Amino acid sequence: MQSPPHLSSQEKEKEREKEKEKEKEAKLLNPNPNPNRSPSSSYSPSSSATRLWKPAAQRNLRNQWSKYLSQKDRWISASSNGRSHATSLVNAYLSQRYVPEMELGVLSEMPGIRHKACEKLALQQEQYQSKLLSCYRDMVDVVCHMKNVSTSMRCFLKGSADSPLVQFGNHPEDSNDSGDGGGIPVFSILSIPSFENLGQELLQMFVLELCLKRLLVVELLSISCKESPKGQTSRLSWSDELYLGEFDDLSSINLYSDKQCQPVAPRIIGWEFGCPTSGRTDHVPDREILQVYLTAWLVEVNIDWQRVDQIFALVGEEMHINLS
Amino acid sequence: MEMMVKKYQQKFRKVRDEMDRWEQLQSRFINQFRNASSIIQRLPMLGDSKNYGELAGVHGLKEVLLGKQMESLGSIFCSMRETLKEFHIIVMSLEKIVRDGNQLLKGGSMQPTTHQMQLRVGIRPSVEDCLDGLKSLHEMHHSEYLVKSSAFEALTLNSSASDLGALHQILVDQPNIPKEEVQFIFNIIFAEEIC
Repeated sequence: MQSPPHLSSQEKEKEREKEKEKEKEAKLLNPNPNPNRSPSSSYSPSSSATRLWKPAAQRNLRNQWSKYLSQKDRWISASSNGRSHATSLVNAYLSQRYVPEMELGVLSEMPGIRHKACEKLALQQEQYQSKLLSCYRDMVDVVCHMKNVSTSMRCFLKGSADSPLVQFGNHPEDSNDSGDGGGIPVFSILSIPSFENLGQELLQMFVLELCLKRLLVVELLSISCKESPKGQTSRLSWSDELYLGEFDDLSSINLYSDKQCQPVAPRIIGWEFGCPTSGRTDHVPDREILQVYLTAWLVEVNIDWQRVDQIFALVGEEMHINLS
Repeated sequence: MEMMVKKYQQKFRKVRDEMDRWEQLQSRFINQFRNASSIIQRLPMLGDSKNYGELAGVHGLKEVLLGKQMESLGSIFCSMRETLKEFHIIVMSLEKIVRDGNQLLKGGSMQPTTHQMQLRVGIRPSVEDCLDGLKSLHEMHHSEYLVKSSAFEALTLNSSASDLGALHQILVDQPNIPKEEVQFIFNIIFAEEIC
């Protein structure tokens, strides 16, 4: 709350009335805000604690949402870098496949030129693969951070409410403290649960997109120029860990199924799970398939960017800060 | 007549500004066209389930992917239409400059003779050079605008790769605005500045 420092008592009265009106509005928006009725917020803090809670909660929300925003920007850059590495990777792979039929003109007389070209392209491909993997790691990291943010929006009373120095923290010390200030609006309209819902909505999009990207990474890391004996390919499978500690990261964002001992299958928002690992073929994907992969990477089917911008605009307006 | 020529040179400077703006729009339009045509070329591939490889198992991917691509294509078409409008604004502004140029002549106290019209003082252009130059520059851009509009009309979901390639080439070449000719006109008008 940014209340001006010197208010006459009349103005204070007005302020209080405004607050009340806002609370009324909030009740209309949020059907169950009554702290006495809702079981989750049966804890009713003393009025002085509520008064002190608000600024602390506001500060916390502003911090958390700024973090959200910077993670979103990190995602955008990781995803776009990943796309360009994936494109280069596919190009190197396809060129290498065409090397044997390539018309080399005068160059064809140079000894071992095709072999050397192939080796070079294979080397490039490996470099792009490791770059792609590191972009994927960044994206996993982004989503883990987002998850943390989405669960850190509440603001809990630290120590006793009666102590002269009231402090707030991110963890409940009292099991009765729901950390949402009894569901009151934190700024003007939205309550903590509303902020959490918006955060969840964002998180969900990125989690599902990450999972789909993982499938693409698995496929793109599997294509290899190196001819292995008898056509045996060292393909990665969905249940392989792509980097050390990946499964721990995926568990923390609920993308790892302990029951199946492998990551959760990718799916599209609004659609049922498919069976992506069932149709595994051992032949190398052709040009069209690779291009569909690249398009799928580019389009980010699970992220509705318009909605993402809308959420940040809404939250930013509520908090009187610019989140764009 | 000398004053008159100065005024015309002023008009040519305005034309030059408009043409700089045209260049900006041109590169924007080419970009938009490239984006649209790469989506159009991808569509048949995206529509065929057998191209999905390991992605085939993800329910709804094909539908959503196609839907989103169509959405982006729609918005690219909209922005191309906007760019075309801006091209048209330039054409209209060039037309106005030509009109003002003619007005300048008629508005004078006396009608100049053919001799005065063609009179060149030193390396300065004649009034006729100026009027002709303005007129051709307008005509070039007007015709090019028509080419761009029809190229845009020809851009459809069913355009083949070779159609798209040809359209792209036409858009890049701008056949109605030959660079040498434009340079030639400006060289005559601003001959004294070049020396």
